[in-house]
Amino acid sequence: MALIEIENISKSFGALNVLKDISLSVEQGEVVCIIGPSGAGKSTFLRSLNHLETISDGRIYIDGKLLDDRKDGVNRSPLTKKEESDILLEMEIVFQRFNLFPHMTTLENVMLAPVHVRKQPKEAARAAAVDLIEKVGLSDKLDVFPSKLSGGQQQRVAIARALAMNPKIMLFDEPTSALDPELVGEVLAVIKKLASEGMTMLVVTHEIGFARDVADKVVFMYDGIILEEGAPAELFAKPKHERTKAFLQAVL
Amino acid sequence: MRNLELVMGWLPSLIFASRITISLSVISVVIGMLAGVFIALGRISANGALRKACGIYIFIFRGTPLLMQLFFVWYALPLAIPWLAMQDRFLAACIAFSINSAAYQAEIIRAAIQSIDPGQMEAARSLGLTYGQAMRLVIIPQSIKRLIPPVGNEFIMVLKDTSLVSTIALVDLMKHTSQIQSSAATALVYLPSACLYLIFTAVFTFLFNYLEKRHSVYE
Ligand SMILES: Nc1ncnc2c1ncn2[C@@H]1O[C@H](COP(=O)(O)OP(=O)(O)OP(=O)(O)O)[C@@H](O)[C@H]1O
Ligand SMILES: [Mg+2]
Repeated sequence: MALIEIENISKSFGALNVLKDISLSVEQGEVVCIIGPSGAGKSTFLRSLNHLETISDGRIYIDGKLLDDRKDGVNRSPLTKKEESDILLEMEIVFQRFNLFPHMTTLENVMLAPVHVRKQPKEAARAAAVDLIEKVGLSDKLDVFPSKLSGGQQQRVAIARALAMNPKIMLFDEPTSALDPELVGEVLAVIKKLASEGMTMLVVTHEIGFARDVADKVVFMYDGIILEEGAPAELFAKPKHERTKAFLQAVL
Repeated sequence: MRNLELVMGWLPSLIFASRITISLSVISVVIGMLAGVFIALGRISANGALRKACGIYIFIFRGTPLLMQLFFVWYALPLAIPWLAMQDRFLAACIAFSINSAAYQAEIIRAAIQSIDPGQMEAARSLGLTYGQAMRLVIIPQSIKRLIPPVGNEFIMVLKDTSLVSTIALVDLMKHTSQIQSSAATALVYLPSACLYLIFTAVFTFLFNYLEKRHSVYE
């Protein structure tokens, strides 16, 4: 079984069907880039995986464990709250708008969850946090508050904060869309490095060049469904659907 | 000259009576804040019954006159439930004022919490923090700065409203002022008394401004 198995998930906001019977599987170490026009449901799809949104139908398996099993809005999963949150800890998300904690320094942002969720001793958590902050190239910003960092630096802290929980899966929701153009590269470089280390990732992005370089699979979402998926070389060169073609023409 | 002497003569006892005004204000606002945090959390909780109960509390105690609440605690409650009769007027006043201030501060705190970007809660929950941890470690610390100005306001309101305790014969600054006014048959006593109120509000306004500044370090 793949690391992530998504089977026939659906989600609506009131009368609006945002996800319509979507299935996708992601292998261990695979990088999947999700592209598609605004309102296609890309964010909702990612957020459904880590329970920031609740699906109404479908199943999600993470690492062989059944995380969600819903039918017509009814939860049929036998998981206890504790089992559920343990599975959710395998996934971390990075948001478009960083969402760093503004009242905490870089180091405190990164240490918070390991200390309070994983119950790591402060000293061990600090050492691990220092390493991760070094990895994203911000060793000189350990004791700085987010308001004193550029957008690119904030997003790199957010990535370090997520990595501090040792997730098996990283979710990125347009991690560079809120950045000035000259800051996009430094964040993509960090994500690329993660990819080369074998992290399993789902990345919603408008950076087609990045998707071409890094993705093992590209998924094109349109109006709540996966219209087309495939290897980047294939999908970008010979899109099967008119919609995909039109979208790629518009962003390239 | 003679007026100045009179004023100076009243001043010590006016200041002494102010201890009731100040301590009642501080105690009520502090207890009101502690209770207000819980009422505010109830007001935004996922539990519908709790939300409703807290809403009703706020509705009742913001919607009826404070003077009525004070009379209720001191005069009416002992008639209804004799063993609740209080010997101590100050205690009765503290209870009435705390209950009332809790309702106002619950709304202040709720507004401050809800003014925090929802992305903060999402980030905290995604990292695995429980709802309680997210509130305690992420949301509430950020709302404190936004709480300080309205709580400062609330404090000034309470400080002035404590003059209502003169109606249950508790000798605060207001009550003592009116005692002097009737025994000496003079309007002059209002001058030092009003000045004392102004000094208190000025001092506490300064204190809250200072707190607000100290809490802006991370911006
Ligand atoms: N909380 C919500 N309540 C109601 N409707 C919502 C909510 N969140 C999203 N939607 C709607 O669901 C649809 C899909 O939204 P979603 O954010 O998933 O799209 P997206 O593909 O991420 O778009 P974008 O590229 O603009 O980020 C949109 O029509 C949006 O208006
Ligand atoms: Mg989106």
